[in-house]
Amino acid sequence: MLLVVWNLLFCQNVHSLPICPSGAANCQVSLRDLFDRVVMLSHYIHSLSSEMFIDFDKRYAQGRGFIAKAINSCHTSSLATPEDKEQAQQIPPEILLKLILSMLYAWNDPLYQLVTEVGGMQEAPDAMLSRAKEIEIQNRRLLEGIEKIVGQVHPGVKENDVFSVWSQLPSLQAADEDSRLFAFYNLLHCLRRDSHKVDNYLKLLKCRIIYDNNC
Amino acid sequence: VVSTTALVLLFLNISLLNGQSPPGKPEIVKCRSPDKETFTCWWKPGTDGGLPTNYSLTYQREGEKTRYECPDYITSGPNSCFFSQKHTTIWKIYIITVNATNRMGSSASDPLYIDVIYIVEPEPPQNLTLEVKQPKDKKPYLLIKWFPPTVIDVRTGWFTMEYEVRLKPTEADEWEVHFAGQQTHFKVFSLYPGHRYLVQTRCKPDHGYWSKWGLESSIEIPSDFPTKDTTVWIFVAVLSAVICLVMVLAVALKGYSMMTCIFPPVPGPKIKGFDAHLLEKGKSEELLSALGCQDFPPTSDCEDLLVDFLEVYDNEDEQLMPPHSKDYPGQGVKPTHLDPDSDSGHGSYDSHSLLSEKCEDPHAYPSTFHIPEVNEKPENPEENIPCIPDPQSISKEGNGPYFPTDESKSSTWPLPQPGQHIFRSPYHSIADVCKLAGDPAGALASLLDKAEKDILKSSKTFETGGEGKVDEQKEMEDAHSETKQDASWPLLREKAPLIHGKPPDYVAVHKVNQDGVLSLYPKQNENGHQPEKSRAPEGNKEYAKVSGVMESNILVLVPHAQATNMALCEEPAKKAPPSLEQNQSEKDRASLTAASSNCRGPLGVLDYLDPTGFVHSFH
Repeated sequence: MLLVVWNLLFCQNVHSLPICPSGAANCQVSLRDLFDRVVMLSHYIHSLSSEMFIDFDKRYAQGRGFIAKAINSCHTSSLATPEDKEQAQQIPPEILLKLILSMLYAWNDPLYQLVTEVGGMQEAPDAMLSRAKEIEIQNRRLLEGIEKIVGQVHPGVKENDVFSVWSQLPSLQAADEDSRLFAFYNLLHCLRRDSHKVDNYLKLLKCRIIYDNNC
Repeated sequence: VVSTTALVLLFLNISLLNGQSPPGKPEIVKCRSPDKETFTCWWKPGTDGGLPTNYSLTYQREGEKTRYECPDYITSGPNSCFFSQKHTTIWKIYIITVNATNRMGSSASDPLYIDVIYIVEPEPPQNLTLEVKQPKDKKPYLLIKWFPPTVIDVRTGWFTMEYEVRLKPTEADEWEVHFAGQQTHFKVFSLYPGHRYLVQTRCKPDHGYWSKWGLESSIEIPSDFPTKDTTVWIFVAVLSAVICLVMVLAVALKGYSMMTCIFPPVPGPKIKGFDAHLLEKGKSEELLSALGCQDFPPTSDCEDLLVDFLEVYDNEDEQLMPPHSKDYPGQGVKPTHLDPDSDSGHGSYDSHSLLSEKCEDPHAYPSTFHIPEVNEKPENPEENIPCIPDPQSISKEGNGPYFPTDESKSSTWPLPQPGQHIFRSPYHSIADVCKLAGDPAGALASLLDKAEKDILKSSKTFETGGEGKVDEQKEMEDAHSETKQDASWPLLREKAPLIHGKPPDYVAVHKVNQDGVLSLYPKQNENGHQPEKSRAPEGNKEYAKVSGVMESNILVLVPHAQATNMALCEEPAKKAPPSLEQNQSEKDRASLTAASSNCRGPLGVLDYLDPTGFVHSFH
């Protein structure tokens, strides 16, 4: 259903290409819907990521001390994302949206690799693989939705130049089981955190933009 | 140096003697954040080593090298550390350690790795209000309202909260829980008027732990709480009352015919022409003629129900027979107890199953002879005849079977056979067969094999003829008895309290008609006395040999090539009253009734009993 809705929106934009500056009445409505859908997607993605991580931790990572090694190891840590409420409220919405977009772009490739590698793992449970696939699909949809929002809220912004490159594919494919498992653990740990960030930022933005800080 | 070391050691020793030691390892119990802006950690001290112990909490953040100490030990109570907004960073791992120190030493807890966003557990919602609303022309309802906990920032969207409401009448045990989403009010419609309700709420962040249930509020639902449903219920009640009334009338007027329609009467057993009074009077001729028995020997075709040799026990002690039935001595039902020196080859009858099951014709054996016996079986556990009716019960009846002295009448009892036939039947009594069911099938098979040989011998004996063979048979019997006393029989022997002085005899079955009436040859006394009604059995003997056992409860019979055609049907008792040995297979066997068409009469050559015929009688 979401796909249909997205398609409708996309088609609408292709044909009519409305430039919708904030304040225009008809745009506000669609922006509200856009935000509702985007928040729903980000919430869903984080729930999936959380389940995946908890599952993996329980199944493969017990007693291995991976958490100690996973300090400061996310590839998106270079992005200057806000780290508490004050910082998040002080940052302008456009910048926050751009940061969100950067993060989502940064996750495109790792998610794709995750699906490939989990699919290759014989011992991986089916739930893990299906969740990985779902996250990958929904992440792409989320990206499209936020691009639309950016198109409405802050039109004319060029695409982001800052890309965080993920270079841990060799670790995912390592022969040594401990290294390989840690690579997965790290990936899932960072995915869980970043999806929570995106979810929280979008909810903040929704209340700020749509409801004027009065949710 | 040596002296210092000695002093230190001495000091330590003294301390140890006093029971003092460094503190035990503390343990961080949990950390919680109520609002995603601050958090608290609590720890549990270990043993204090008998000395005053200090606890300190230190932490380090992801991406930083500096180690900090807890900024606030007080706000959250003893053994806790409170991190204010200034000291809280989200989306970063905290590495927290608690140290316990006393005069003797110190110990550190295991480090705890936490990220504040994953430990969010809010306070319960606040300011719960309840109000009964009764708008005009609409359904009345209970409106429940609340507020999020004070510290939570929901307005800016930093914190997203979900709520749950639960309510119950005061006296109920179970709560009714409702999920309220992100709204801070809830409407309840289905309430019982006149009851007092208790209501509670709790909340949860979008990704986190549920809070505790908040304070209870209660409200009384007014008794005039109108529900539009009452009119519907009144209508339903009236309708059901009318229907009930109609049904009652119908039953009253046509009760009997309805009952017969629903519960048709079960026909009792009835034998056409059977008159119980005649039986009581003891006039067998009249009885049997009333039954409509035709010429004797019966020529009709109850050929399927046959027991080859029926043991006709002749013992005056039993008093089974009234005096005037001397002609047919031993025609009473013989108890199938075993003599210790006899083999198991006691043929026996089971007229009940013979007759009532398969022979619809009233010529069947009067069931009263057997049914009561079978029913009384449980009362005589000392009888080792689970499958055979109790002969004693017959005597209780006071009626022995009466054999027509007239040849023209059919006899349902085995007739004594001439001396040549005095023979321990290798075919076992129903009881024995039933008992064998409890034993390994092999025992039966072995017995039957022996029986087979016996038949061969006996038939040869018969063919040579002559009464002198009685002795030979007796010798054979003795031989049998020795060889056949294997382990399967001792139990039976134990259960044979009634041992009559005289071993049972056998009679040849002439044939059995459809009614299950057995026509037998008169028995010949051992002393060679020929009863008047004896007749040459030559050419009329019917034997079958058992070729094997199928499925542990079916005897496979083949007609003996040399002997005259004879059909044998194993007929365990229809009912097997519980006996000490009763088991399922025994029951099954006991409920075996003769297959209808497999057992032939004098000319029948059927091999075995069709098990399908038995199937219906199982269980």
